[in-house]
Order: sequence, then structure tokens, then C-alpha cells
Amino acid sequence: MKSRQPLFHVVKRDQAGPGRQLAAYVAAVVLALAVGAVLLLIQGVEPFTFYRQLITMGIPGSRYPWRSVENFIKLFVPLLITSLALALAFKMRFWNIGGEGQFIMGAFWAGFAAMQLGETLPRPLMVLVMALCGALGGGLYGVFVAALKVKWGTNETLLTLMLNYVALYFLQYFAETKTDWNFFLDPGSARPKFAKFPANAQMITISIGPFNLNLSLIIAVGLCVLLYIYLNYTKRGYEIAVVGDSPNTARYAGMKVGRIVIRTIFLSAALIGLAGAFQASSAGVLSTSITNDVGWTGVVVAWLAKLNTVGIVAASLLITVLQYGCQTASTTYPSIDANFANLLQGVILFIVLAADFFTRFKLVPRGRREAVK
Amino acid sequence: MEQQYAIEMRGICKSFGSVAANKNVNLNVRPGEILALLGENGSGKTTLMNMLSGIYKPDSGAILLDGREVAINSPEDAKRLGIGMVHQHFKLVDVFTAADNIWLGDEKSGQVLKKERYGVIGDMARKFGFDIDPRKKVYNMSVSEKQTLEIVKVLYYGAKIIILDEPTAVLTVQETAKLFDVLRRMRAEGHAIIIITHKLNEVMEISDRVAILRKGEYITTVDTPSTNGQQLTEFMVGRKVELNIDRPVVDKTRPLLEIRELTIRNDEGAVAIDKVNFYIRGGEILGVAGIAGCGQKELCEAIAGLRPIESGMMIHKGDNIVGLPPKAILEKGISMSFIPEDRLGMGLAPSMSVTDNMLLKKYDQVRGPFVDRRTGRAEAKQVISELEIVTPSTETPVRRLSGGNVQKVLLGREIKAGPNVIVTAYPVRGLDINSSYAIYDILNRQKKDGVGILFVGEDLDVMIDLCDKIMVLCHGRIMGVVHAHKTSKEELGLMMTGALDLSNKYEDKPAGIAKDSRIGEGEEEEA
Repeated sequence: MKSRQPLFHVVKRDQAGPGRQLAAYVAAVVLALAVGAVLLLIQGVEPFTFYRQLITMGIPGSRYPWRSVENFIKLFVPLLITSLALALAFKMRFWNIGGEGQFIMGAFWAGFAAMQLGETLPRPLMVLVMALCGALGGGLYGVFVAALKVKWGTNETLLTLMLNYVALYFLQYFAETKTDWNFFLDPGSARPKFAKFPANAQMITISIGPFNLNLSLIIAVGLCVLLYIYLNYTKRGYEIAVVGDSPNTARYAGMKVGRIVIRTIFLSAALIGLAGAFQASSAGVLSTSITNDVGWTGVVVAWLAKLNTVGIVAASLLITVLQYGCQTASTTYPSIDANFANLLQGVILFIVLAADFFTRFKLVPRGRREAVK
Repeated sequence: MEQQYAIEMRGICKSFGSVAANKNVNLNVRPGEILALLGENGSGKTTLMNMLSGIYKPDSGAILLDGREVAINSPEDAKRLGIGMVHQHFKLVDVFTAADNIWLGDEKSGQVLKKERYGVIGDMARKFGFDIDPRKKVYNMSVSEKQTLEIVKVLYYGAKIIILDEPTAVLTVQETAKLFDVLRRMRAEGHAIIIITHKLNEVMEISDRVAILRKGEYITTVDTPSTNGQQLTEFMVGRKVELNIDRPVVDKTRPLLEIRELTIRNDEGAVAIDKVNFYIRGGEILGVAGIAGCGQKELCEAIAGLRPIESGMMIHKGDNIVGLPPKAILEKGISMSFIPEDRLGMGLAPSMSVTDNMLLKKYDQVRGPFVDRRTGRAEAKQVISELEIVTPSTETPVRRLSGGNVQKVLLGREIKAGPNVIVTAYPVRGLDINSSYAIYDILNRQKKDGVGILFVGEDLDVMIDLCDKIMVLCHGRIMGVVHAHKTSKEELGLMMTGALDLSNKYEDKPAGIAKDSRIGEGEEEEA
């Protein structure tokens, strides 16, 4: 029977320190890039040059380097806000995977405001109104699910997932229905096509020399700080942590769990809606692919960061660099396209999960153990 | 050469991370012998037995079966080698019949459920002298029937070595006596039996030898007839311990909390508490005894405002508290601490720090939008030092503390809030002797301060020593309230199973209604 001993033995480690965990994550990303390098080599692409281009995002040697940064920010901000908002819901163990739908609703209602009022309101007011409409649209779309869950205990994962498609087809309806009342469409075009927003509905930018700083970045950074404080220092944040940890304990402590769930999910979904409004306003036009999949990628980011606010900033930066870098690098390599970023993203997630396992457990070869004795 | 050991463990070590659960443990049992494995909680008894039953593997050391070294890599290996374990939490499929539960794990039985399985298993159970109905579904069984089924299952698989993990924890006195008869019979048939327990009187009653573990270390094995409770405790704890529980006599106040004709339903909608009357005075500990599921949990939840009340009254200091939200009841000074089986389910947020858990009921009392962690930290420090809680820091998540310390955090917070009624359920559940006595001490100190305490307990010996009065529940009905110093375990045991009803012993007044009741005060006087 001795021969049936397994080769390795899984042994629990002590809680790893933050330094060790960070090292494990960095190692995981490096390993994922190595796996990517192998894939690149198979396609005949020199990985080092590719990665250099990816990381520099084609900024050096560009004729308009600032334009690259501006575009980068346009990708970064929606992902950052969405990930933060999703983490807020996940902290409460509310599995909101409806980021896509809430984002679309935010963008749609912001677009609605833009098309209706864009000509009459001054620009700062117009952007504010769009932001509010987006937040309200997204928030109500999310709070609907929370209310059902609180009232009847429905499964939020299923509902938020299904509502993503409802939102997408809702938007598609307006994109493809050419009639007189559909003010979303460009009247000049024969084919159905979303009209550009009036100039006053375009996102405000602050000029610093040749660079136009998108206002949404400043707001997003502000939101990071606010949410960090909200989650870690306020009573509301404390309630979220308790409800997420143990709803029974929360009730026992006299908390109104239903109210906390509804409030938090409204906030989460409203932030995603806000991200949608910013996206629409920055792009200056609606589109059925307006989400750029942030509702999904945001889930990945939130988990990579373990719902930690600082981690979310880092992880969404990393993912945006990957996506934007791949996009720019792929212009020089015909065999690679932007999907490579998705592939790398998946590999990173898997390896980080594995790294997580190794920060908590270690494998010990059977033989060595006996020797230790 | 002396008689061959049925099983022998030599130099067993096992650690989880940096925590050594077992250090160099030696253990042996002969066929036809009952070995008691004694130790405080966290001393590594269950870990050691799990290595015999194939759930864990030792890091080092050897296991010898009939003198031959064996490797037990899985529960299947253990089964093949004739080692069977009856776990503390039964491993049964609720919706299956008794026979099917046994059939399920039998390798010889093949892929289909044969008709004759009821006969085969029924015969076999009768052969061993058990009285079980093979067609009965597990969810219809009482706790002791389930345990019998577990034992039959183990025997059916041909176990020669039987391990029982705290088998008496869930049994009444009478059921325990029955179990011990079964064990003696199995011993006579030549089985080797290991029984894990921390109840000294049971060790003395049933075992031939006792092995003692302390903090994962093997201390010694002694012959039961040559030892006594005092000595065993010293082995177990490592120093002299006073085994008496104080029952200070305190001046009692008028009733603080009165329960009148209370009816509550459980989660399934069945009546959990049925027209119950009782009252608690300040300076008194009222024990609540009853077998698992007799309605204690629902009663505690109802008093804390967590469970809706079907009918009846709950009067606190003359005010009706029925229908008040948990927060309002809390503010009246009624504290509830319920230690569920998993210890962390209600009352604590396991992933949050000790500090945060201190703030659980009062985070909302400070002004402004922020949580006042400074006060929380100060309180956490105070409770940690007063109750001698072992924790790396105030910021350690509660779930990383050991069971005893978790319970101290919970009780410490409740007492810190200065309640006038404490409802506490199983406060010493799973605690070692030291921690248990620390908790009795805390409760007695509260009692001296004039607090009324409702103590839902498991260990009748302790309740008889600690409580002033004991109320016995059976299927949601009160079987009577007895004075703790006048009653006996046997009497309580009979009441718990419903065989003895003392609720109308005194005919001059209805049971459970105080003479100086505050109900109806100022309106009509009670007749």
C-alpha cells in the first residue's frame, strides 16, 4: 500500500503577508505574458517588440502622442468606474453581473437628454444633466433587481444577466428603427444611424497645452477616493460589510437589511450608469457597442483586485493598457488583432487564481516530508 | 508478548500551516476495549481520529493495524481496513430510508436498489441487537435514532474499530445510557472502540483506559479504575482546577421579563413554542433545558425581536415589547447572544475585525457619517484584557480566533452594553473547561449586578450547578420549572423527553406566572 502514496501533498500555509501576495500577482502577470509570448512566436511575431509596442501603446514616435493618451483615458475611465461600482455590490455579496445593461441604460438616458436638450442648455449644465440622467437610468435599472431580491428572494445573478440583453436590444431598437419620432437617428442619413450629439453635449475637456484632459478622469479619480472612504470609514460602508459577511448578524444588530441592499445596489448601478453617460458624452454619439464590454471586464477587474479600491485602480490600468496597447500594436502586425488582449486577459485571470491558491497552500513532495521528520 | 493491539498510532504529527494539531501522539487500543480520548477543545482529538478514518493524512508517524503498518489514504481505505467513524455531525442523507443510507456506501451491493435490502439490513441490525426500522426515512428520526443508524452502518461495513466523536453531546441522559449499553455489548463482541468526549463522568463510566491530549500533545494513557476526575482534569488542563461552579445567592427583583401565552412558529410554519408562560427576575439565572429542536432557538429569536410572534405577550419592566424592531428591544437593555452550531452564524461578522464586531450594535449611535473605530478599538482592548481573549491584535478577523475566544468576544460585547436581561444560548458550546468556567464567572458577575439571565444550555450537570431555576421544554411546551438545587439529572431527562410533566404541580397558581406580576399593572390587578 506504501506505493500508493501520492507524489505531492497539499499543505496549508500561514496567512501570507501583503508583500508576498503582491509578489505572487506580479509573477502571475509575468507568467501570463510568457504564455502570450509563446502564442506570439507560433504566429511568427517577435514577442519582445510586440510587448514593447503594447506597453508603450505606440506613444513614442507618434505624431500626436497626446491623442493616444486621450484615447487611453476614454477606455480607462468607464472601466474604472464600472469596476468600482461592481466591487461595491460584490462587497455585499450581491452578484451584480448586469454592468452591461446598467451601462447601456446610463448611456441611453444620457443620450436622450442630449438629443432633447442639447441645443438649449449651456454645456456645463448639459453635461451635468446627462450625468444625472445616466446615473438615474442605470440606478433604477439595477435597483429593480435589488427590490425583487429583497421582496421575493429572486436570484440577482440571473436577473441582472438577463436584463443585460433586454437593455442591449432596447438600444438596438432605437438604432435600427427609422421613423419620424425616433429623434436618436441622424435625419440626414438614409440608413438608420445614430446622430451625433449637439456640441454642448460633448464631454468637457480641459486644455493643458496640446493635451485635452477629459473631465471624466478627474471625476473618476474623485470617485475612487470617495468610495474608498465610504467603504472603509462610514457607517454605510460598515453596514455593507456586515450584510455581506452575514445577513443574519446584520438583522440581529438591528440593521434594516433590505434597505441597505436597495441603497447599495442603487448606488452601484447608478455609478455604472454614470460611466455610461460619460462614455456617451465623450464619444459624442450612441452606439450599440458603446459598453466596450466593461460590464464583463469590470467583473474580472473587481475580482483581480479582490474588491480593494487601490487594487481596482491598478487592475483596470493594467487591463486598459493591455487592450489599448494590443489595439495599437496590432496595427503593425496583420496576424494579431485586438482580441489578443482578451486572450491575455483570460490567461492572466487564470494564473492569478492559481497564484492565489499558492499563497494559501503549498505542495510538498511526499518523500521530503518523511525526511524532515 | 502481550495481546496484539487492534490499532496503534506511533509518533503521529499533523500540522495545519504553522499550527501543530498533533505532536508526536501515541495511541493504542486492544480488541474488546473501550478507550476514551479526552482533551479540551482544540487539543487535536478529532484531527487524530480523522487520520484514522482517512480524512486527513499524518505528516509523519505510523499507523499499525494488527501489528502491520498501513497507509490510510481515503475513507474508502479506512472502511476496507475495518475502521469506522461515527462523526459528531451525522453523515446521512435525510430523504433516504435507513436501509438506503447503508446501501448507498456498500461496495458489494451493486448499482441497483434491491427489494431485499430492507430485510438484509433489518436482520443484520437485529443480530447486533439494534432496534431500527429499515424503512424509516432519516428526516423522521430522532437524534438518537440517527446515531444508532450511524453505528449500524459502521458495523454493517464490517468495522472492527469504531470511533465515536462526542456521541453524547446531542443525547438525553436516558439515551446516553442506552448508547453505553450498546457500546458495552460491542466491546463484549471484541470490537475496539474509541470514544471522544470531554465529559469526565462519562469517561469514568464507560471506558477501560483513557488517553489524554493537551494542545495537540500526547500526555499519557491511564487505566480508568486507577484514576479520578480530578486527576484527569489536571492532565487535561495542565494544572489544578477547581471543579465547582458557584451559585451566589442574590436578592431578586420583581420580574424583569415576563412571557405570557407565547406562541411562535418556526421557519417551516410549524408551532415551535406553544402557549408558553415564564418570567425572569433580576439577579437570577433561569436555565432552559430541552433536546435539540424543542424551540429554544425560536424562543431566543422571538425575545430579541428577530422572529414574528403568533400570539401572546412579552412584557419587559411593564412594557409590552411584542412587535418592536430588534433595535428598540436592544435599546431597552435586552441582549441576546446565541451561539449556533457553527459558532459564527449569528451575532458576529466573521470576516470583520474584533474592533468592528465590538461596534456591531452601536455603530449607529455616534453622530456624523463615520464609524467611530477609536472607541471600538478601546473597547476591544478592554474586553480582550478583561476576558483574557487570545488574539494577535484588535484588527484580527474574528474567524481566525479559536472557538472560545470567539465566544468571549460575543459575550464581552453583550455585557459591555450594560443589559438588564441577557438571553444566552449555548455560551459554552464547544469550549474547554477553562474558558467555560470563565464564562460561568462572567454570568455570575452579571447576576450579582441584578441582571436577569436566560441560559439555554446543553450540559445538565452544569445547569444544575449554575442556574437558580430550570425550565424544561419539550416540543415547544413547558414541562415545568424546577428549582435547580432540588432537581436531578434523571428528572430533567424525563421532562425533556416529555415523559414527566410538572407544569401543573402547584395548583394554587398557573405555572410560569409570577405572584408579583407586572402585567396588568395600573389597569386591572391579576386575580
